[in-house]
Amino acid sequence: MTPARPSTPGAHAPGLRALDARADQPLLEASGVSLGYAERTVLSDVNFTIRQGEYWFFLGPNGAGKSTLLRSILGGIPARSGLIRRRPDIASPDRLGYVPQRCELNPTLPTTMREFVSLGLAGIRGAEPGRLAWALERANLRGMERRDYWSLSGGQRQRAMLARALIRRPALFIVDEPTTGLDPPSADLLMRSIDELHTAERLTTIFVTHDLPLAAKHATHVALFLEGTIHAGPADQVLVPPLLERAYGLPIELHLHHHTDERSAP
Amino acid sequence: MIQDFLSSWPLFHDIYLTGWLAAAALSLIGVPVVARSQIFAGAALSEASTLGIALAMWASALLGASAPAWMESDAFLSAVAVLLSVGASLLASGRAGPGRERREAMTAWIFLLGAAGSILIVSRSPHGLDEVQRLLSSSIIGATAADAWIFGGLFAAAAAALLLGRNTVLLWMVDPPMAAAAGVPVRALEFGFSVLLGLAVGLAIRASGMLYTFGALVLPALAARTVAREIRTMLVLTPTLALGCAVAGFVIANHLDFPPSQLTITLLCAAVPAGAVAARMRHRSPA
Repeated sequence: MTPARPSTPGAHAPGLRALDARADQPLLEASGVSLGYAERTVLSDVNFTIRQGEYWFFLGPNGAGKSTLLRSILGGIPARSGLIRRRPDIASPDRLGYVPQRCELNPTLPTTMREFVSLGLAGIRGAEPGRLAWALERANLRGMERRDYWSLSGGQRQRAMLARALIRRPALFIVDEPTTGLDPPSADLLMRSIDELHTAERLTTIFVTHDLPLAAKHATHVALFLEGTIHAGPADQVLVPPLLERAYGLPIELHLHHHTDERSAP
Repeated sequence: MIQDFLSSWPLFHDIYLTGWLAAAALSLIGVPVVARSQIFAGAALSEASTLGIALAMWASALLGASAPAWMESDAFLSAVAVLLSVGASLLASGRAGPGRERREAMTAWIFLLGAAGSILIVSRSPHGLDEVQRLLSSSIIGATAADAWIFGGLFAAAAAALLLGRNTVLLWMVDPPMAAAAGVPVRALEFGFSVLLGLAVGLAIRASGMLYTFGALVLPALAARTVAREIRTMLVLTPTLALGCAVAGFVIANHLDFPPSQLTITLLCAAVPAGAVAARMRHRSPA
């Protein structure tokens, strides 16, 4: 359990969320959750508790159920049994920021960075001015409002998707394999943007990836998908050789760059 | 030329207004069709509507002299066309199954069934065959004041939905998975749009024919997307372009005694490469 960090200077900037009395409550909690499609059960007995400011990595081989759990958290798949609870203040989808693996935008459609990012305001009424500039700033895209979206590099487009999710001012940020297909400098810049969001804004983040070293470097907590369920907890307790070997079928040893307490404690 | 056109106004104003408003309404509804790469669905829906009209005529002919008067009316033909068009639109929208490939296969099936079935059904009836051929070649002669009101209403409804929905409708249009994650009622919007598209195409077929309906549905959006810098601009430019080409097409056609539908569609076809050239020149010129 992670105690809340007190409000920081600048907490009234557009993207910052002043912590309130509810911050000690779990942001998202799954207890005894079972998920599946038709006759097939993909995950069962899923349990985890995500608290404000934690940086979660969802790890596991292909087909292990990461996307299924993500879809369920986003409200797309109902649990067959058990319960996924969101803290009341994030019960509405407008408090979730989601960065999908790839953008579905038809590449023949004209759009600018400004328009693309503003689409993230869908369903949010009366958004205050300044959100666009803040989201672009946080995604390291300042000054690119008028750029043609299709003239951007792959890394810039990925950060534009980040900004599109951020403009919602989410309390929970969900990022699905954002570095796939990016060259190392672009992936590094994207990771820096996400990392800054987590450290500066204490934005609770769920990061789905296959990149174990990335998880070892950034995660405070990990959900490791194996054998039809998940092992969830602080990174140093989950990213351990026996569990990794069971998940991937290979001996894997990781050097953890951050301790859980360093990243999520006040 | 303008004087010629104005002098024809008292006699043909219902036809002109129907043609212009149909072009504006269809073009606006066509923006999501083009944005979602469902261009061929427009042709399939047009064929389904034509099949509906052929079916209505066949049913009426089958009953012969005992057919009730309402079965001989334009409203009955339009209603059956709309019914088939809406059904086809729901099928082609992907509700029949997941995946783009399955949607394209369904669209092709609807197109081919509509094209073959509409001719087969009326092949023994000279009057029916004439009517189907008139619909395929697109003649707007015969449009009434009611048609003008209907397309004016459709245009107003589509414009109001876009204005009120703004980001929500745009996100659904361009990135449905993201829209679903943002809490947008994607399935409801999908259903509503499929019904609107089917309704518009079904009604337009009876008034303006297949060529004009399909052309006005997709060509203005295809031209506008080459010129516009943003989707929002495209939404304004598309009906403006459709209306501009329809007015010009009808005026020129009146002066040169050409069929107005074909001339309008030719102008819209020319607007697509013209837009691409204009966009290329803009990119080359210094900012």
